[in-house]
Amino acid sequence: MKISPVFLLVGLSFALATAHAQQNQPSIEQLLQEPFLDDYYSNVVYGYEITTNTQDNASRYVGNSLQCSNCHLQAGTQPDALPLNVAGMYPKWRAKNGKRNGIGLRIRECFLYSMDGIMPPEDAPEVLALSAYVTYLSQGQVMGAEPPGRGVPTLPDTGYDPNPANGRAVYLEQCSSCHGERGGGTAGMPPVWGLNAYNKGAGMNDIQQAAGFIWANMPLGNGKSLTHQQALDVSAYLNLQVRPADPRDSKFLKLLEQLIN
Amino acid sequence: MEVFAGLVGAILVIPQGITFAYLAGLPPEYGLYCAIFVTLFCSLLGSSSMMSGPNTAVAILIGTAVLPLAGRGSPLYIDFVFLLCLMVGLIQLMFWLARGARIFQYLSPASISGISAGAGFLIIMSSLDSMLDLSTFQTTFFYEKLYVIASDAGNLVNPYSLAIGLTTIASGYLGKRYSPRYFIIIAVTAGYLCGVLVAFVWPQPITELEYLGRMPLEWLPLSIPNINIEYLMISTKLIPYAIAIAFIGLAQSLVIVRELKMETDQDINLDKEVYAQGMANFLAPFFSGFAGAGSFNRTRANQSLGATTPLSGITAAGFVLILITFLGPILTFMPMAAMSGTLFIVGANMIKWRDIKHYAQVRSELIIYFTTFLCIMFFGLAAGVAVAVVLSVSVFMLHISQLELKMESANTGTVLKVKGALFYASVAHLTEKFHRHLDGDLTVDLQYTTHVDQSAVDFFIRESRQMAAQGTKLTLLINDEQRKFLERLGASSELELVSL
Ligand code: HEC
Ligand code: HEC
Repeated sequence: MKISPVFLLVGLSFALATAHAQQNQPSIEQLLQEPFLDDYYSNVVYGYEITTNTQDNASRYVGNSLQCSNCHLQAGTQPDALPLNVAGMYPKWRAKNGKRNGIGLRIRECFLYSMDGIMPPEDAPEVLALSAYVTYLSQGQVMGAEPPGRGVPTLPDTGYDPNPANGRAVYLEQCSSCHGERGGGTAGMPPVWGLNAYNKGAGMNDIQQAAGFIWANMPLGNGKSLTHQQALDVSAYLNLQVRPADPRDSKFLKLLEQLIN
Repeated sequence: MEVFAGLVGAILVIPQGITFAYLAGLPPEYGLYCAIFVTLFCSLLGSSSMMSGPNTAVAILIGTAVLPLAGRGSPLYIDFVFLLCLMVGLIQLMFWLARGARIFQYLSPASISGISAGAGFLIIMSSLDSMLDLSTFQTTFFYEKLYVIASDAGNLVNPYSLAIGLTTIASGYLGKRYSPRYFIIIAVTAGYLCGVLVAFVWPQPITELEYLGRMPLEWLPLSIPNINIEYLMISTKLIPYAIAIAFIGLAQSLVIVRELKMETDQDINLDKEVYAQGMANFLAPFFSGFAGAGSFNRTRANQSLGATTPLSGITAAGFVLILITFLGPILTFMPMAAMSGTLFIVGANMIKWRDIKHYAQVRSELIIYFTTFLCIMFFGLAAGVAVAVVLSVSVFMLHISQLELKMESANTGTVLKVKGALFYASVAHLTEKFHRHLDGDLTVDLQYTTHVDQSAVDFFIRESRQMAAQGTKLTLLINDEQRKFLERLGASSELELVSL
């Protein structure tokens, strides 16, 4: 049997509806100990392994050196750090194409943009496993209600425009020890720009979003120590750096543009 | 010579490995490992220049067997595929132990062609999936799929994908005119270039094209199949498929080997080939590969390049390893539509008009061919294989249970000459003749009888008792061997036996 996204969605709403009965589902650690897992739980474990070690477990579609858990901290369980317990928020209605876009599409987009890779097909085993993992994390949540700490905090308007020059100072002082002076990362620390980082189409390349993430979580282990303005500044600075092109742009049109100019 | 043939074999097997892995529901690298290690072991242990490796029918059967147990390509799925391949290897080794290579002679050529054509049809249908980019729906029968496609083509079909697929197919058929041997390579290359062009003009978020992706290749992909109680309990469901795969795999390999034996003067031992194929399939899961079987087209190419020893297979395995390390990064952006275009060509090539014309000459052959083909179309490959076996065997049985009987009157009474094999199935035929002859002494001439079994002897004893009650006599004309057999069954006291 092929698990179609539709099937997953049905399963997912069912899972949410029966969430109360299943409150105490086994933890990931317990699952990892089991000698044999059924189709669902083996996918959950696979999804967990992809999240924490994307490079080895989903290398087919990855183009940079990040892991999902570099942004979705603690394997997607940490509030305010893009937690992945969001199954109840999907499928989303998008008027544009008249389609309901499931969690699958969101996952595939993170491969394409945040991981600067190839968009996997809808029924790729990696996508299905990650969907299963998201479903697992969302156990007990109310369908359609925003889980607390979803995404990143929205920073209040500081009244000043983000200033990349100040951001550079903040970066060199607070961040470069881990992420490297040239943003390429250091041993065990992910890059924040350069060809091995997320590309220009990624959610992290949005100044507001990145600022929210950085303010809440960075420097790692010492989150919320920057002021809102500092977070916005450093985020604007990151936004200006070199990184892979937005995959939504046609290379052909780019070339034409260059030829014309 | 052998080395060059190996290189060509390696180039040919790479697209096959990737596409057949897709048929088996596995990531592409598993197909390449199959192309390396199954070919290698089969050539190392075997005695012929046959090229083994990924095989269409085997791949399709693996896919249908494991799909009900786990999601396509998930880790659990791969575990079950490995278990299934272990079972296939073991069953084939049991065939070897039982010296069972002979069994496959009973599978008639018509049914093998029918299976091949049916598999071709299945391949064409599954190539539509990724050529039209229909990855998300599942239908039971092929006509449902065609209906769904036709009724909602505008929404379902991805035009970019279709364009690449059609380019691949068209250039494949064009290429076939000029180079019948390498046309698959031409098709793949054309499809790839078309894909590059499409990707250059339109970005992936618009085209939504599926790509092969990076293959995490290793030189020595050792793996240990997961075996524990739960796996074994569930995998009992796989046993019928394991038997079907073992059978169809060996049948194809042996057809190839037998042809090689007839056409070349290679010193080939059929049992050794069974052993080699069984071992290769048994070892495949330990090297992250899935089971395979002999390949007609690669063996042909190999033969036409003058290879006569297993060395060509061994070098082919080495070349695949070297080639994919270089090709890997290029293959990343290979559109799946180009791959399925080649699948389409492979499938279409398996349905041969020539076969149909050939079998049309004899009605029973044509019936076997079409019954097999239709069964596969509607009920899947495993059912088709089973039907093919049953049909071949029953036609064979019908033929050998025919007796040629001739009554002659001689001065000693009536003489009945029996030609053919006398066993439980053909005795009935004899009974009719006996009952029509009611009076007078009867002599049965068994010198042209190839085989006499116990039920025939019992029959003679029964008849002779009845005839004795009526005062007539039954005499058997037999040779020495038959005499020994009859005496052992204690017939000499009841029957009049005359040696020739
Ligand atoms: C560079 C950082 C980064 C990486 C790496 C990354 N993501 Fe994301 N992800 C984001 C951001 C930022 C968002 C929110 C984007 C938005 O809503 O526009 C997001 C959103 C998501 C969402 C939807 C969450 C929600 O609240 O609706 C899912 C699911 C997701 N990502 C999955 C993944 C998976 C799976 C991977 C690994 C293959 C991954 N992400 C890797 C940054 C990242
Ligand atoms: C203690 C070392 C450390 C410091 C200091 C630090 N980070 Fe990080 N950062 C990390 C680690 C580690 C991760 C990945 C999180 C994980 O895998 O759990 C990360 C992740 C990130 C990410 C998302 C992943 C990526 O690579 O794109 C961004 C953006 C980021 N950090 C920005 C910053 C900024 C801006 C600062 C300075 C304010 C900063 N970090 C300071 C260690 C650090």
